[in-house]
Amino acid sequence: MIPKGLLYTKDHEWTKIEGDTATIGITDHAQNQLGELTFVELPDIGKEVKQKGELAVVESSKAASDVYSPVAGKVTEVNSQLASRPEIINDDCYGAGWICKIQITDKGSIENLIDASEYEIYLKGL
Amino acid sequence: MAEKLKAGTFVFEEPPGSPAKSVLYNEHLKLTDKSHIAEFAGYLMPLWYSSIAQEHSAVRQNAGIFDCTHMGALEVAGPNAESFLDASTTNNVKNLQIGSAQYSYLLDAAGNVLDDIIIYRREKEKFMVIVNASNEPKAKAYFNSLNAGKAVIDAQNPDRKITPAPVRDMRDTKSGPDCRVDIAIQGPSSTDILCKLADACVSSQIKNLKSFTFCQAKLAGIDCIISRTGYTGAKVCFELFVHPDNAAQLWNKLLTAGALPCGLGARDSLRVEAGLPLYGHELDGPFNISPFEAGYGWAVKLDKEFFIGKTAMEKISETFKMKVARIELSAEKGIRPVRQNDAVICDGICAGWVLSSAAAGTRQIALVYMDKENAIEEKSIDMYYLARSVSQITKGRKQKVEYGEKINGDIKGKIISRFEKF
Repeated sequence: MIPKGLLYTKDHEWTKIEGDTATIGITDHAQNQLGELTFVELPDIGKEVKQKGELAVVESSKAASDVYSPVAGKVTEVNSQLASRPEIINDDCYGAGWICKIQITDKGSIENLIDASEYEIYLKGL
Repeated sequence: MAEKLKAGTFVFEEPPGSPAKSVLYNEHLKLTDKSHIAEFAGYLMPLWYSSIAQEHSAVRQNAGIFDCTHMGALEVAGPNAESFLDASTTNNVKNLQIGSAQYSYLLDAAGNVLDDIIIYRREKEKFMVIVNASNEPKAKAYFNSLNAGKAVIDAQNPDRKITPAPVRDMRDTKSGPDCRVDIAIQGPSSTDILCKLADACVSSQIKNLKSFTFCQAKLAGIDCIISRTGYTGAKVCFELFVHPDNAAQLWNKLLTAGALPCGLGARDSLRVEAGLPLYGHELDGPFNISPFEAGYGWAVKLDKEFFIGKTAMEKISETFKMKVARIELSAEKGIRPVRQNDAVICDGICAGWVLSSAAAGTRQIALVYMDKENAIEEKSIDMYYLARSVSQITKGRKQKVEYGEKINGDIKGKIISRFEKF
C-alpha cells in the first residue's frame, strides 16, 4: 500500500523527487488518522522553508495537524483544488491529493528521508 | 486558573497508570483498524469505525451503538442510601421514584463540580449512579471520604455529618453477582432493534418507557437494565446495563439486529450538536463552569434543606454573568473549523470563547462560554480563529483573545437554541 519510489518522513509526509522539484503530500496513515478533512491551509507561493519547517495545516472536524516540509526549498506551486475540496486528500493522498511543489535548495536534505520499506517498518513499530 | 484553594475544595490526584482495555476491546478490533483506537479517560476506545460523519448520521436517521462500558457504575444501597445521595448530590433524590432516573451533580463544599451524573432508583434502598469514566476514580474517592467522615461537607457548619451508606463498584465482578456495564443504543430505529431481541412482553415494556425511566428485562436472553437515557440528543435513546461477561454477546446481537457501531468521534459530534455538556469543557474545566452557567440550574434544587455545595450554588445562581450558548456556523468544505478557545465576537468585541465544536452535516456547531447579555437566540456573532501554527503567529494571528478586547472576526455565525432534540 505504501508506494515505492517516494521518500517519507516520520511525521507522515511523502515526497516525490524529480530533478530539483519535490512534490509533497501526506501519507495514507496521516489522512486515516485525521479522518475527513475539512480544511487545508496551503503555503504561499515563493515561501522558503527549511527541512521540517511548517508548510501547511490540514484540519478535520476533530484535529488540526501541521504538515512539515520533507526538504529545504522554495514553494513553486500549490494544489489550489484543495482549498475548496480538501477531501481529495482522503480519497487520493498519493495522487490528486498532493499539497505543493518545492524547488529544492539543499539537496543534502533528501538524505534524511526514508524509503517505502523503512517507512513501512516504522509504521509497524507505532 | 491559579486560584487559591477555597475551603471545602475536594482535591483528588489520580494515580498514574497505563490505559485499560474496555470489555469490548476485542470486538472493536474486529470492526476497525487499531490505528482508530486511542486512549480516552484511561481506556483504549475507538474514535470511529466507518467515519464520524457516517456514524453521526446513522444516529440521526437510524440507530447507532456505543461502547460506554468505561463509564463508572456505582451502587449506593441500604437504609441510608436515599439520605446519603440526597445530601451528596444536587437534585432531589427523595422525590425519585423506583424505575426512574435523574440527572444531577456531585459538588464539593466549595461548589466545584466534581462530576455530572445520572442516578437510577432501582429499589427503595438501592441506587445505581452512573459517573463519567474520566471522573470515576475521583467520584469513588469522594464517596469513600464522605463515608469515612473525612470530607468537609458544609464550610459554614463543620459539625454537619452525612450518614454513611455502602458504595460498591458495579463494574467490578469481584464486588458481587449483580454487575453492570453500559452499552448505549441511540436513534429513531433503536426501539425496533431492541424489540427484535425481546419477547412480546418485554417489547411492550420497552415501547412504554418514557424519558428517564427504566426497566429490568431480558434481551436475547441476557439480563439488562433498559433505560430511556442517552447523550446524543436523540428523542429515541436507550442505555443497556449488562453484566460485563455478557457485554460482547449483547453488542454483537445489536450489530446483527441493524445498529451501526459508533466511536468517540460521533459521540462528541452528536452531543455537541444537541448542546449537551462534557465535563471539563462545558462543566468545571478552565472556566470552572457551574450547572447554572451550563444551562442546568433546574438540576440544582436550592429548595432542598441541604446538599453539599448549596451555599456556593445559592450565590452563583444570583450572580453568574457568563453562560454556555450554542452557535451555528457553516461547515462547507474549505471553511476552517472553529476550535476550543477561538473567540466569540459580538459587535466587534470579544464576548467569550469556544468550549467544544463539531461538524454536524452541513453545519458546524460550537458550544461557547459567553456573556449572558449577548447570548440571545438568533443573534449574529463573529468568530475569530486563534493561530493554529507558528507561521500564523509570525503573520500576526493571536494565540489568545481577552474578554472585552476589540477584534475583527473571521467567520460569521449565529446563536441558536441552547439545546436541540432529534
